Amino acid sequence: MLELRIARRFLWRSKVQSILIILGIAVGIAVQVFVGSLITSLQDSLVKDTVGSSPQVALEPPATETAFSFTTEDRESVGADPRITAIAPVQSFSALVSADGKSVPVIVKGAALADLDSIYKISARLVDGNVSLTGSRVVAGKDLVEQNGLSLGDQVRLVLADGTGVEALLEGVFDLGAQAANEQFVFSGSELAGAALNRPADQVSAVELQIDDVFASPQVAADLATAFPGLTISEWQTKNADLLTALQSQSTSSYMIQVFVIIAVMLGIASTLAISAVQKTRQIGILKALGMSDTRTGLVFLYQAGILGVIGTALGIAASLGLIAVFSLVAKSGGSGLFPIEPKLGFILVSAGIGIAIALISAVIPYRRTARLDPIQVIQSG
Amino acid sequence: MAETIALSNVTKEYGTAVKTKALRGVSFRVEGKEFLSIIGQSGSGKSTLLNMLGLLDRPTEGKVSLLGTDIGALGKKDRAAFRNRHLGFVFQFHHLLPEFSVRENLLIPTWIGSRAGSIRESAQTRRRAEEILSFLGVGEVADKSAEQLSGGQKQRVAIGRALMNSPDIILADEPTGNLDSENSALVYELFRRIHRESGTTFVIVTHDRAIAQQADRIIEIRDGVVSQDVRNDYLTGASA
Ligand SMILES: Nc1ncnc2c1ncn2[C@@H]1O[C@H](COP(=O)(O)OP(=O)(O)O)[C@@H](O)[C@H]1O
Ligand SMILES: [Mg+2]
Repeated sequence: MLELRIARRFLWRSKVQSILIILGIAVGIAVQVFVGSLITSLQDSLVKDTVGSSPQVALEPPATETAFSFTTEDRESVGADPRITAIAPVQSFSALVSADGKSVPVIVKGAALADLDSIYKISARLVDGNVSLTGSRVVAGKDLVEQNGLSLGDQVRLVLADGTGVEALLEGVFDLGAQAANEQFVFSGSELAGAALNRPADQVSAVELQIDDVFASPQVAADLATAFPGLTISEWQTKNADLLTALQSQSTSSYMIQVFVIIAVMLGIASTLAISAVQKTRQIGILKALGMSDTRTGLVFLYQAGILGVIGTALGIAASLGLIAVFSLVAKSGGSGLFPIEPKLGFILVSAGIGIAIALISAVIPYRRTARLDPIQVIQSG
Repeated sequence: MAETIALSNVTKEYGTAVKTKALRGVSFRVEGKEFLSIIGQSGSGKSTLLNMLGLLDRPTEGKVSLLGTDIGALGKKDRAAFRNRHLGFVFQFHHLLPEFSVRENLLIPTWIGSRAGSIRESAQTRRRAEEILSFLGVGEVADKSAEQLSGGQKQRVAIGRALMNSPDIILADEPTGNLDSENSALVYELFRRIHRESGTTFVIVTHDRAIAQQADRIIEIRDGVVSQDVRNDYLTGASA
């Protein structure tokens, strides 16, 4: 393609100018990809810390009841929804633990260990002892154990609101990474909880769920409300409005940064191309005199923009991936309080598209200027 | 056979508020393959006339036909294609593209004219470029950048570029205006040889009467009208 060849020669002829603008695009795209990935990963990590190891949606009894029936068929029908990734029917109750002469309030959640693990990942978060949850064995949070001088193998009595109680054996200590949970939670098997509540096995206090996209929780909750009209459905977002507002404003500021970076890059390319179009006026005029059409001479600048855009964007993405790798390396080495950034292919492709698109848009002015140029204006002067 | 050039009553006005009449009814015809000069003082309208012939500008009134084609009927794209296929331009300034080598500068008109803007020229085209360059005495600088040449060499390369697509008419506006007398003489000698060997029609604009005398026909423009249109053999023959 002649236009492409001319575009390459024009760029090559003004090497310094071309390199500077490529660097400009690269820096812009690098910032845009890095900031975008940083904010997304920060949000992911915040959301994961908040609801990653807790139920995001829960089926609860109607307000007047404390339990409801949840059959194997019910479980199958809930599990058939591909968005739902974990299901834990739990028996839960508040109790007091007598230890060290004090009475400490706790929340006991009883369920099959596999189900509890699917939501709370207790086995992976055990810091002391074992977890089997068979018979009267329970595990308790690290802060609960430490603050009350409990130790593994202790026999503790859980006293319910109605004054009844059950004996439990502390077999392990977990750390869920959140203080409230570490101070309050005691996990038991269904057997102990069922005995404490004196309930038949198919009656549960709640069914706790995790879903693949945590932000889809309102939709999942609405669908469950239709499927289980008698039940109350709760989901995490209604309880975390503050966090969501914070995430929202963070996203907004991130978009602002990205938009301004893009505007800066666009102005940079546009001014460089405009200068180039002026510098090459004589060449364009003579090419037209020799029979090159207005459209084709205009295309030269579109190709220039395309070349600058593709190279600049590629360099920018490479640089941002480098930055992300360094950042993640520091984060993983620990102690810095940083979190690893996950580069997302989709976002990078969008950024690449934006980079090339703004380069092409920036070429509109030189394109039109070039297309309009009358060769007579240049051929009679040197 | 159609006339090579036919102008009838061509006028050209510049400006909208204050009007300058650069041409006020110019008519002449060129039949066959002539070597002619357009002469006149600065500001008389020579370049304006040549721009009409070169399809670079449109007359305000009147009709221009080249090679039997009514130019006024052609759209912008067709005029560009016509220029590329049938016309060769030599300007006062060489206007070579510094981004390309001497050889590439010669090939540019071919690239422009090839369908789909292909930049792969045939071996025959490349041979033609070499032949033209050596004919013009610039064969040994074919790979240099146009910038590295002397003024005379540059203008010879520009002539080569005008020849490249085997034009029917070569239009030259003060082609030696920037050259010393030695190089000027060389350029006219080359023009005459090209005319003799390929029969191309030449229209050469100059304000230098001595140069114009070397043409077969001289058209003199004064204030936008043809004031004289003579055969050179008539001029010289009259005195002989
Ligand atoms: N683009 C233009 N706009 C206005 N006036 C012009 C333009 N080009 C030429 N002229 C005027 O037209 C007249 C003829 O100019 P030109 O054809 O360039 O003369 P020459 O080539 O014989 O010196 C001059 O008076 C000149 O000032
Ligand atoms: Mg002139």
